[in-house]
Amino acid sequence: MCACNKQFSDDEINSNKPAQVPPSLPLGSILSDMNAIRPWSDVMRWNQFDCCNYNYYGNQRYDWGGAKLDGYGSLENVQQMEQEAIRLGGNTLNPYAALGKFFRAYFFYRMTNLVGDLPMTEALQGKNNLTPKYDDQRTVFIQILAWLEEANSALDSLINNPDKVNTSEGQTLRNDFYYNNKLDYWRRAVNAFHLRVLIALSKKEADTELKIQQQFNAILSNPTKYPLLEGMDQNLQFIYNNINKYPVNPDNLGFDATRYNMSATYLNTLVSLRDPRAFVTAEPATEQLNRLKKTPADITAYVGAPSGENLTDMSSKMSSVDTAVYSLRSRSRYYANYAAEPGIIIGYPEMCFNIAEAINRKWVTGSAEAWYKKGIQASMGFYGIPEAGTFVKTYKNIRYEIPFNFETDYYAQATVKYKGDNTDGLKQIITQKYLAFFENTDWEGYLNWRRTGIPAFSTGSGTGNSGKIPLRFKYPDNHRNANAGNWSATLQKQFGTTTDDINAVMWLIK
Amino acid sequence: MLFLLAAGATAWAQQQVNGQVTSAEDQQPVPGATIKVKGATRGALTDAKGQFTIPTQPGDTLQITYIGFVPAEIAVKGQQNLLITLHSDKKALDEVVVTALGIRKEVKRLGYAVQEIKGDDLVKAREPNPINGLVGKVAGFTVGASAEMLASPQVLLRGSSINLYVVDGVPINSDTWNISPDDIESYTVLKGATASALYGSRGLNGAIMITTKRGSKDKRGFSIDFNSSTMFDNGFIAIPEVQDEYGPGDHGRYAFVDGKGGGTNDGDYDIWGPKFEGQLIPQYDSPIDPATGQRKGTPWVARGKDNLKRFIRTGILSTNNLSVSAKTDKADLRFSLSHSFQQGIIPNTHLNITNFNVSAGYNFSPRLRLESYLNYNRQYTDNFPDVNYGPNSLIYNIEIWGGADWNIDDMRNYWQPGKEGVQSIYAEYQRYHNPWFMVKEWLRGHYKTDMNGYMKLTYQLNDHLELLGRTQVSSYDLLRTEKMPYSAHPYGREEGKGDYREDRRSLFENNTDVLLTYHNTFNKLDLRASLGGNARSFKYNSSFVSTNYLNAPGWYSFANSRDPLYANTFRSDMLVLSAYGYVDLTYSKYATLSLTGRYDKLSTLPSGNNLYFYPSASLSTVVSDYVQLPEIISFLKFRGSYANVKGGLTQDTIGTTPQGVYPLGYGTQYYASYGGPTFQNSPGYSVSTVYQNQAGASYTRTITNPSLKPFSSTAYEAGMDIRFLRNRIGLDVTWFTTKNGPRIYELQVTDAAGYDTYLVNGVTTRKNGWEASLTGSPLRSNTGLNWDVMVNWSTFKEKYVDFYPGVNTLNVFFKPGDRVDGFYGTAFVKTPDGQIINDAGDGRPIVNPVKQFLGYTNPDWTWAINNAFRYKQFNFSFQFDGRVGGNMIDYIQQQTFRGGRNIKTVEGAMGDARYQDYKGVKSWTGQGVVISNGAGISYDNNGNVTNYKDMQFAPNSTKTYLQDYISVYYNTNEANLISKTFAKLREVVIGYNLPQSILGRTFIRQANISFVGRNLLYFAKNKDIDIEQYAGDQGTSTLQTPTTRRYGFNVNVTF
Repeated sequence: MCACNKQFSDDEINSNKPAQVPPSLPLGSILSDMNAIRPWSDVMRWNQFDCCNYNYYGNQRYDWGGAKLDGYGSLENVQQMEQEAIRLGGNTLNPYAALGKFFRAYFFYRMTNLVGDLPMTEALQGKNNLTPKYDDQRTVFIQILAWLEEANSALDSLINNPDKVNTSEGQTLRNDFYYNNKLDYWRRAVNAFHLRVLIALSKKEADTELKIQQQFNAILSNPTKYPLLEGMDQNLQFIYNNINKYPVNPDNLGFDATRYNMSATYLNTLVSLRDPRAFVTAEPATEQLNRLKKTPADITAYVGAPSGENLTDMSSKMSSVDTAVYSLRSRSRYYANYAAEPGIIIGYPEMCFNIAEAINRKWVTGSAEAWYKKGIQASMGFYGIPEAGTFVKTYKNIRYEIPFNFETDYYAQATVKYKGDNTDGLKQIITQKYLAFFENTDWEGYLNWRRTGIPAFSTGSGTGNSGKIPLRFKYPDNHRNANAGNWSATLQKQFGTTTDDINAVMWLIK
Repeated sequence: MLFLLAAGATAWAQQQVNGQVTSAEDQQPVPGATIKVKGATRGALTDAKGQFTIPTQPGDTLQITYIGFVPAEIAVKGQQNLLITLHSDKKALDEVVVTALGIRKEVKRLGYAVQEIKGDDLVKAREPNPINGLVGKVAGFTVGASAEMLASPQVLLRGSSINLYVVDGVPINSDTWNISPDDIESYTVLKGATASALYGSRGLNGAIMITTKRGSKDKRGFSIDFNSSTMFDNGFIAIPEVQDEYGPGDHGRYAFVDGKGGGTNDGDYDIWGPKFEGQLIPQYDSPIDPATGQRKGTPWVARGKDNLKRFIRTGILSTNNLSVSAKTDKADLRFSLSHSFQQGIIPNTHLNITNFNVSAGYNFSPRLRLESYLNYNRQYTDNFPDVNYGPNSLIYNIEIWGGADWNIDDMRNYWQPGKEGVQSIYAEYQRYHNPWFMVKEWLRGHYKTDMNGYMKLTYQLNDHLELLGRTQVSSYDLLRTEKMPYSAHPYGREEGKGDYREDRRSLFENNTDVLLTYHNTFNKLDLRASLGGNARSFKYNSSFVSTNYLNAPGWYSFANSRDPLYANTFRSDMLVLSAYGYVDLTYSKYATLSLTGRYDKLSTLPSGNNLYFYPSASLSTVVSDYVQLPEIISFLKFRGSYANVKGGLTQDTIGTTPQGVYPLGYGTQYYASYGGPTFQNSPGYSVSTVYQNQAGASYTRTITNPSLKPFSSTAYEAGMDIRFLRNRIGLDVTWFTTKNGPRIYELQVTDAAGYDTYLVNGVTTRKNGWEASLTGSPLRSNTGLNWDVMVNWSTFKEKYVDFYPGVNTLNVFFKPGDRVDGFYGTAFVKTPDGQIINDAGDGRPIVNPVKQFLGYTNPDWTWAINNAFRYKQFNFSFQFDGRVGGNMIDYIQQQTFRGGRNIKTVEGAMGDARYQDYKGVKSWTGQGVVISNGAGISYDNNGNVTNYKDMQFAPNSTKTYLQDYISVYYNTNEANLISKTFAKLREVVIGYNLPQSILGRTFIRQANISFVGRNLLYFAKNKDIDIEQYAGDQGTSTLQTPTTRRYGFNVNVTF
């Protein structure tokens, strides 16, 4: 009988999954989740960087339903990671706990932007609270800012006053495939992200409790306490390789090459600025080459489609490969190998433009133009465009050498040269930021448009939702299904109705 | 000397005589038979083994009577052991059936519904899978027969899946392919928990009891049987109708350059290309102009008309069985060898099943009997098809996304010259595959060995007490392989560099029982009671290993993996300790009460909640035995029962990489029969690689529950059996209600809790239903025509009762009181008077952002009619069956429309519009209206339009391309919703028994030849799919191999 009892408890145990792991393993999945929104995904079409002209594969209709708030799942792993770090000898202050603060800020920022209010203080408690109340979006943002402060100061201690005796698994960052376990770089990314969050709150300048202006100033004026990104090599970014393939690659050329074309919101802006990034990211439209006899080195041969165009029309215009009206993705850049370019999550150009915007908004003093130029140049560097010299456009295996000088050919243009700390200057900053966001940085292209209307997003008969670009997602069905009372209360509180409407205006953009 | 002994015996006055009563039909013991001494009051009843003891005097005559058998008389002449065989009385109620634990009981005394099928009825018009043959034979029992080789049929009883197959009283693990029909005496379908409560949670929804053949029927002491069937699959009953007028491409345009998107729509294409008009278009085999390096145009003609029909061949099903049975005074033996060979209708696909079966019984003494049984079953094939939607599927490649621009016969030499083994030839190189290349090079092997067997010892301790000990083993070992050649590129394997995979699984299960049975008659009360214990121990382990592309083409070995191997292992152990018992009480002719109870201790449940009890009770009374009824009524019985079953955290089947990540994005994942732990309630991490070789761990998405209790299911059943006109007409009606729950349920929680689900004891449903079986013998004659009819009918509905404290809706749409099989899907937005509202800009329907209720997925009712005629040496039988009601999405319709292959796209108004598409003219106007005043549509949370008052409507006049219209219209569930109603002429058998006048002079004792047909006619509104395969609550069809008629002949000879 004793033997039976022993076997009984043995058989109940699942030997197929580990019950405990070192904190570096949950870290791996959290880092992977940060890269969930990938280049050329539907989110990038909603950012209006490109379009799908093949209705079997997709569209630009913005027929949004429930948001995917899988950040909560990532945050559950953050909690587990922190517990595992303590279990394996980590001090209260350990690298996993420090990054945990940042991850909370990062995932809540992504989620609240999509829907509005969110369960936060009562969230992530498992069965101890299956119906968490929603916190106001304002409260969520206050907490995000607080977490970022805490993350920065915790990283500060870990970098500058490390516990040199404790070499335990819980005290040692491992498995970090973004920064190779360099806490200093993490700290810079945290502070750059902090600037993003503050900029996102630009409509709340007047909120005395949020103190956006003061916080921005505090960060910028104290580089020792708040080190920031110093260049493209410090970007928080996902480097693709032959196993973790860039989403556009030789495997899917035959599926995608003609079915996705460039969007006017991005490409036509580049062309209007005579911006050589057009040559790098796009192919010339074949109609421009074959009917209008332009060469691939002529920037006016690059044409993007209005994202709001009726899909039937867009697909008709793209139906002949020799006279296609719109530009496709650059084959030589994106389809040549499995690692076309890194997927930027928090990038240096964005940080430059955020600082420029803060100066433009007079939150801080400094030269907006200098940061604006740094941002443009960093982005151009990302695409291999030299400050001065020639770069090569390869089209159908023919090389076209295009001479370029940043100052004289590009920046000297009235459309590009910074117009000063006014609304025109702001428009230039945000336009350039948008161009640098091309196929990267999560939802930021859309979110900056939602906040500022820059650049103008295209709508038309190809846009669903009665021709409007929605301002939010519905809450996921699981909120309605499993937390109905709080769900409907928060809708009532936020929008004055219990209808979960994708056109409703959330606190952040009021 | 003999005389003296006999005289001595006489002098002894009275003497105990032992005997055994068996059935002449199947050599099985007849329990419960009445033995009476003629002219005296002494009597006895036979026990479970048909044995009895009675005091007699020489010269007595024993009368043996039992319901359903012709009464027999035998004179006692001093024998000590009487062997009495009873012949069944065709006119009477023929019913002794096998019930739980293998106990044979009179149907008359049962308090619940069972139906029995003779094994011999299923070995003439054969199915590749034996369970498919049970279709329509039992009311409430549904089989969703799959036409796919090695696929398991859906086996449903009262709409719930059953997976308990019991051989001679002991459960075996079965994938349904490891059952050998030629060795089966009878199948008994135990319906619902009442009948099968003694098997524990595995019997929750019922069970299929299989009684195997034993010993000999022949007076010589042995007999040899040979049964052979040869059947052919030919002639489609369900196949998608496709158009061969337009080829691949988009909006009428196509030109081949490299087949990978380098030309005009030449990669991953739809079949919306140019019409075949003989015009010159560069194609995959067009010559290349040496001067320009470009392909010249060649005539664009439908050279691939009817590609699929020309590719598919006649299928063959050949089964042969040879069995030898023998019997002596002390022993009975049976040896059987079966082989089944199936040639699939898809070239180079086949399946062999070889089955050995040995059973033996030995009587040490009249009190002590040993029985054993061993079955070895081997399934083996080097290639079977995978039709699951995707580039791995021939149907996908030929019927949906392949045009008539290439000829299937030109694809037989499939390697490109100089690239043998590396690059195949086809008309496209991005997404699709050359069918001949697929069937010859892309091979899936299946090798499975099933063994099960038992040894059983029964000992009659005294006249009233019997002890049974039994130990049984059921096990299998499985290897599945996949050889994926270079230039095959299904979903997720777009590099096309080949792969090799092995899926190995091994299961071992042992059941050991001890059962003590007491049987006695007290005055008018007959008591039978048993007490037993069962130990079930279970072990399973599996591994799945795959290369990650190959270095050397054509070498299928793990040593040849280009990138690191993917490997996954799984193991599980389980132990169930049970104590169970039953009491059957029969009071004279009035009533029988049966009670059962079972304790289980189950290792999958949390400690503290893993020991539980569940009871059942049933009552039956044969009114016609004690009430004088009108003469027209020859039999009337009422019955009622109650049962409760508990259990938890086990599952019937198991996939390839349980508790891990299944790495393949294409094809069918194989679910093997299992019955072991789910480990749903075990917290832990899923670990997988996230970046190059670096791993990430993700914590369980389910909130586990250490205080989880077993699930509970309670069933009530009531029934009536009434027969008229000396049993010429019979009607058996059953009503049942099952309260299923609280279940063990993964309740959805808000993602904000940090998890997806919470494992709780929650969600209760109630299922109510009716079953009826009508039997009749319109014609009955010993010399002329006999005609027997059986009609089976059943219906049920299942509704939610409650969910969990605080939970008001389940899956957003469901509330208590709603049917569980409600189907919600994408639907069109309509005006208040029901017209489709189209987008004013593009003239295409607007799809509601919220899923809408579209129908119920379960059938309303199912039916079957069997007719059997017998005239002298001839017999003729046929069966119609079908289901009525229920809805699902016709996925083949959806995809053939969207891909431009559906025949309707070239017929009528669509055909005209399609031609205009090809000419570049928008000409199609969709039905319905547009909003003419520019008002936007507002919806509430359920997708109801809230601002009709703001809208003005005008008829839709926006012309669009047919292709673009279809791509929206037929991508909407509502457009593809079909009824699941269908009927089939299931089975026709015409047989002839060779008369003894011919056989008498030969060594052949009996011979029968039959001409047989299966699935000969199919009636359904939509014949592009065989609806039969979706027997339960499936909301959508899959791809399937077109189904065919099967016909052939059967020869049955006894030597």
